[in-house]
Amino acid sequence: MSTGRAAVVTGIGSYVPPNRVTNDDLSARLETSDSWIRSRTGIAERYVVSPGTSTGDLAVEAGLRALKSAGDERVGAVVLATTTPDQPCPATAPQVAARLGLGPVPAFDVAAVCSGFLYGLASAAGLIAAGVADSVLLIAADAFTTIIDPADRTTAVIFADGAGAVVLRAGSPAEPGAVGPLVLGSDGELSHLIEVPAGGSRQRSTGRPAAPRDHFFQMLGRDTYRHAVAHMTAASTEATVRAGWHLSNVDRFVAHQANARILEAVSDRLGIPAERRLSNIERVGNTGAASIPLLLAEATAEGRLAAGHRVLLTAFGGGLSWGAATVIWPELQTI
Amino acid sequence: MLEQLKEILSNKLKVAPEAITPEATREDIELDSLAVVELSLLLKSELGLDISDDDLLEAETVADMVRLMEERSATV
Repeated sequence: MSTGRAAVVTGIGSYVPPNRVTNDDLSARLETSDSWIRSRTGIAERYVVSPGTSTGDLAVEAGLRALKSAGDERVGAVVLATTTPDQPCPATAPQVAARLGLGPVPAFDVAAVCSGFLYGLASAAGLIAAGVADSVLLIAADAFTTIIDPADRTTAVIFADGAGAVVLRAGSPAEPGAVGPLVLGSDGELSHLIEVPAGGSRQRSTGRPAAPRDHFFQMLGRDTYRHAVAHMTAASTEATVRAGWHLSNVDRFVAHQANARILEAVSDRLGIPAERRLSNIERVGNTGAASIPLLLAEATAEGRLAAGHRVLLTAFGGGLSWGAATVIWPELQTI
Repeated sequence: MLEQLKEILSNKLKVAPEAITPEATREDIELDSLAVVELSLLLKSELGLDISDDDLLEAETVADMVRLMEERSATV
């Protein structure tokens, strides 16, 4: 276990936009049904942004709540994990920091798709360990529906919008809330499994317009499932070993809310019983990077996650990218 | 092999046991593409059989899946 300055969770907040979309709403415009979506994804409803609302707007709302929860409206840095920044350039985090009135603090985006919160956690912990900041606001936010092809029933029923945030401050690795050993990994040879093919320099440098569908998110479901299950299982196992825990000691398992069936497959392999798994995918869908902090915030507010719980976090996403981390849940004020 | 496949389908993939007959199609037992991936992983972990999800998707019925399993177990 590291003995340097640890990053300790002191506040949490989340936000979903007000526009709720049910499976019946989707069935009205796509060839699908409530039972088809529920049985294949475990999702019943989700929230989506209204026209003109951006990831930054969601991030500000979640950030505000996390700062209030921490009881400290100042932080030394802002990290925003997102796949759907407000614009290609510049990063969204500086505008979020400015809108939160945080002054000229360092602020930047982290791009690790659905693993973004765990990669952001590593970035935030690094800023603290390096002495760049004594406290960091880490926000994970995605207006994921803005890159989804509304006519693609395989992704349109899964992805949704939302934001979650935590405040981290410098502390001791031994205290509750200290982020334990972080396990991260990537496999760029399989980047094509989860991608938006166009809109970046590869396509723009050709000088030719891309096919319209190439501006939308595309995912090869079967290969993604296989790699997601394997990597989340392995990373979770490694994170618990490095923390000195046994999997049977895990009180709450919090995985990226990708798809109810992936969550079940991973927790079955880890031997984590249903009552120790937290999930909110039924009500919010897959919110990309936001899914883990959104679930942590909701579960804390509802009391399903409480001080002293040994929590195992894991995520998998495009890149490919994946990760896992452990934390003993601290006493937090919920907003 | 049919019994082993039945056990995996009913215990692990929650397919109703009475629906699993040799003539049943993937649609009949509601085995969608992700369930086929899971079945491929389970055939490997439970029975040591290497049958890809691509191969399983070409099997039209439960009997076709059993035939694939028999072929693969004969070659190991």
